[in-house]
Amino acid sequence: MPSEFESITLSEPGEGETSLLEIIDHVLNAGVVIHGSLVISLAGVDLVYVGLNVVLTSVETALRNLQSAEEKRSSR
Amino acid sequence: MSHALAYCGFLHRQEISLPNSGVRSAAVQALAEGELRLLWSEVEWPFNPADLQKNAVEFHGVVQHVFRQTAVIPFRLLSVLSNRSELAAFAAENAQAFVADLERLKDCVQMECVVYPAPGLAPGHSGSGAEYLRERAAMLRLIEQQVADLKQRLHAVARDLRVREAKSGTRLFVLTERGKESEFRNLVEQSPLPGKLSRRMSGPWPAAQFLSDSVSAPQVAGAK
Repeated sequence: MPSEFESITLSEPGEGETSLLEIIDHVLNAGVVIHGSLVISLAGVDLVYVGLNVVLTSVETALRNLQSAEEKRSSR
Repeated sequence: MSHALAYCGFLHRQEISLPNSGVRSAAVQALAEGELRLLWSEVEWPFNPADLQKNAVEFHGVVQHVFRQTAVIPFRLLSVLSNRSELAAFAAENAQAFVADLERLKDCVQMECVVYPAPGLAPGHSGSGAEYLRERAAMLRLIEQQVADLKQRLHAVARDLRVREAKSGTRLFVLTERGKESEFRNLVEQSPLPGKLSRRMSGPWPAAQFLSDSVSAPQVAGAK
């Protein structure tokens, strides 16, 4: 049976950023976690070993900022 | 250095098509363990944080390609394994639990609704501390009432329902049959929404909130 995926496309006028926010939230925060070490680059130069939770916490902060921006826009 | 980036797991069926490319245009490959298939790509790791948003959309595209056709168990984007051999060992160790969850969730999708204070109406810090606490308690009661009403209405389509408090609001996760997404939306829209609240629906998503513990946080040989 066909399902509806329209609500999470990126092209809906006025909803692009919200949908993107949800996509980022889901791909980072929902699903199987493989516990282990990660490596990320900072400023494209340094390599820093961090735990997965640290990365996700940073992402959560970024997501909050995105949502705040979206709320400000919708309240105008 | 290249690593194995896992996208999702699903039960093999001949007719399921696979995406051609994934994150950073890498070829998407399927690793077989019995009837379980794990989609993965060999990618240069680490990702550049500046590309994280783009990578997230590419990752989402791969998972959605398969999810449109069948139930999937998604991996999180930032979870990688060292190489294909490590992924194969992971699959062998966890296949039974993955298959059991995929069988249990095979006809299901996850729908979501988040309830939160309307923009500009979240309790602020302009008044006294006591006033702030009163406003906050009133807002929480309002959200609780809205969530309780939604839970009652969604009972008709929910095989399972979870509620989680988050900084962004209260989130309802509903496990429902594939094909009942419109019914979910209609039921939510029928619930009166107080002016002080906003809510947002999304989905269908893979049923990630309804995975068993052994699948959502599996054992990995040699993990630190």
